[in-house]
Amino acid sequence: MAQNQAPGSVQPIWDLPIRLVHWTLAGLVAFSWWSVHNHHTDWHIWSGCAILTLLIFRLLWGFVGSSTARFANFVRGPKTVLAYLRGRWSGIGHTPLGALSVLALFVAIAIQATLGLFSEDEDGIYTGPLSGLVSIDTSDKVRDVHELWFNVVLGLIALHVAAIVFYRFRGRHLTKPMITGRAAVDAGTAAMRPGKWWAALLCLAVAIGIVRWIVAGGPPFGHWTPPS
Amino acid sequence: MRIAFLTVACCLVLSDCGGPQTSQANNAQANISDSRDENQAAASSLQARVSAGDAAKVMHERHEAMEGLGKAMKALHRQLESGKPDIDAVRQQTATMATTAPRIPGLFPAGTGPDAGKTRAKPQIWTEHDLFLRRAKDFEIAAQAIDAAARAGDLNKVMASHDGVDKACKACHDPFRAPEH
Repeated sequence: MAQNQAPGSVQPIWDLPIRLVHWTLAGLVAFSWWSVHNHHTDWHIWSGCAILTLLIFRLLWGFVGSSTARFANFVRGPKTVLAYLRGRWSGIGHTPLGALSVLALFVAIAIQATLGLFSEDEDGIYTGPLSGLVSIDTSDKVRDVHELWFNVVLGLIALHVAAIVFYRFRGRHLTKPMITGRAAVDAGTAAMRPGKWWAALLCLAVAIGIVRWIVAGGPPFGHWTPPS
Repeated sequence: MRIAFLTVACCLVLSDCGGPQTSQANNAQANISDSRDENQAAASSLQARVSAGDAAKVMHERHEAMEGLGKAMKALHRQLESGKPDIDAVRQQTATMATTAPRIPGLFPAGTGPDAGKTRAKPQIWTEHDLFLRRAKDFEIAAQAIDAAARAGDLNKVMASHDGVDKACKACHDPFRAPEH
C-alpha cells in the first residue's frame, strides 16, 4: 500500500468527498449567516440541517474514508505537534498542527448546529427541529448562545484563512490542492490510500437518514413539523 | 488537545466580541443622524409628536406589548405542535394577540424612533407611515381571525389561521424592525 513516490511528483492528497464537504460547508456557513440576516430564517434552518448532515458524514468518513480523511491518521498529540513546529515532520494530508484547526472548526460548527436545533426565533414563527423539547425560556437562551457562539466559529475561520495566507507567503499553496485534490509530494512519502465510493455513499445515506429522523421528530426527538 | 482547543476558543471569544459590535455601533450612529432628518420631515405630516418624557414611557409600553406578543406566539406555536392542543391555553394566547394588535399604531407616535432612545423601531415607520399602518391593520385582522376561531373552539381553523398571523408579523417586522443588536 505504502509506495514511494518520485521527488516532487504531483499525487492525490484529498479525495472527492473531503473536497466536496469542505467547499459545501464553507458555502453553507456563509449562506446560513446571510439568510438569517436577510429575513430568511426558514432557509437558515434548512441550511443548518444540511450542515449537520455534512458533519455527520465527515465524522463517519473519518473512520472509513481515504487515508488522509481518517482521524486516526491525522489527529496527533502535543509531542508530534511540537516536532512539526520544529520542522521534524513529513507526510501528506493534515499537518499535526492543522489537525487541531480541523478538529476545532469541526467541534465549533457541530456545537453551533446543535444549538440551532434547540433554538426558536424571537417571534415564535420559526422553530429549530428540537426546540419543542425544551421550555420557551431555555430555547430563547439557546438562541442567544447560538448567536454568540457564531463569533467562535468566525474566529476559527479567520485563523484558518490566516494560516493559509501564512503558508502561501512561505511558498506553500493550500487552496489549489483542496480544489484539485492533488499536490506535489516529497519523495518517500506514503501515497494516499483512497476510500471506497460505495462507503462514501453509505456514509452520506446514514448522515441524511439521521438528520431527517431528527427533523421529522422521530423518537426520542418528539413531534415537529417543518416550517412552511 | 482539548485544553489547547478550549484556550484557543476562549481567546477567540474574547477577541471577537469587539468586531461585530463596533460596526453595529457605527450603524446605530448612522441611523441616528439619518432618522433626525427623516423624523423632522415626518413630524409635519403627523400631528401627534410626543414629548421626551412621554417618549420613554411609550417606548417601554411598546416593548412590553411586543414582548407579550412574542411570548403569546411561542406559547401558541407549542400548543399547536404538541399534537393535542389545550383550547383554553390556545384562547389565552390568541386573546393576547387580538387585544394587543389594535394598540400597535398608537404605540408608535412620532418622536419615539431611534433618536429618542434604545429601540429597534426603524425611522421608516414614520417616513412610510401609510404602509406601516396597513401592515399593522393586516396583523389586527389576522389576530382577530385566529382569536375568533379559538373562541369558537375550532382548532382546525386556528391551525389554518396560524400561518396568516406568522406572515403578518413578518410582513411588518422585515421592513420596519432593526436587527436585535
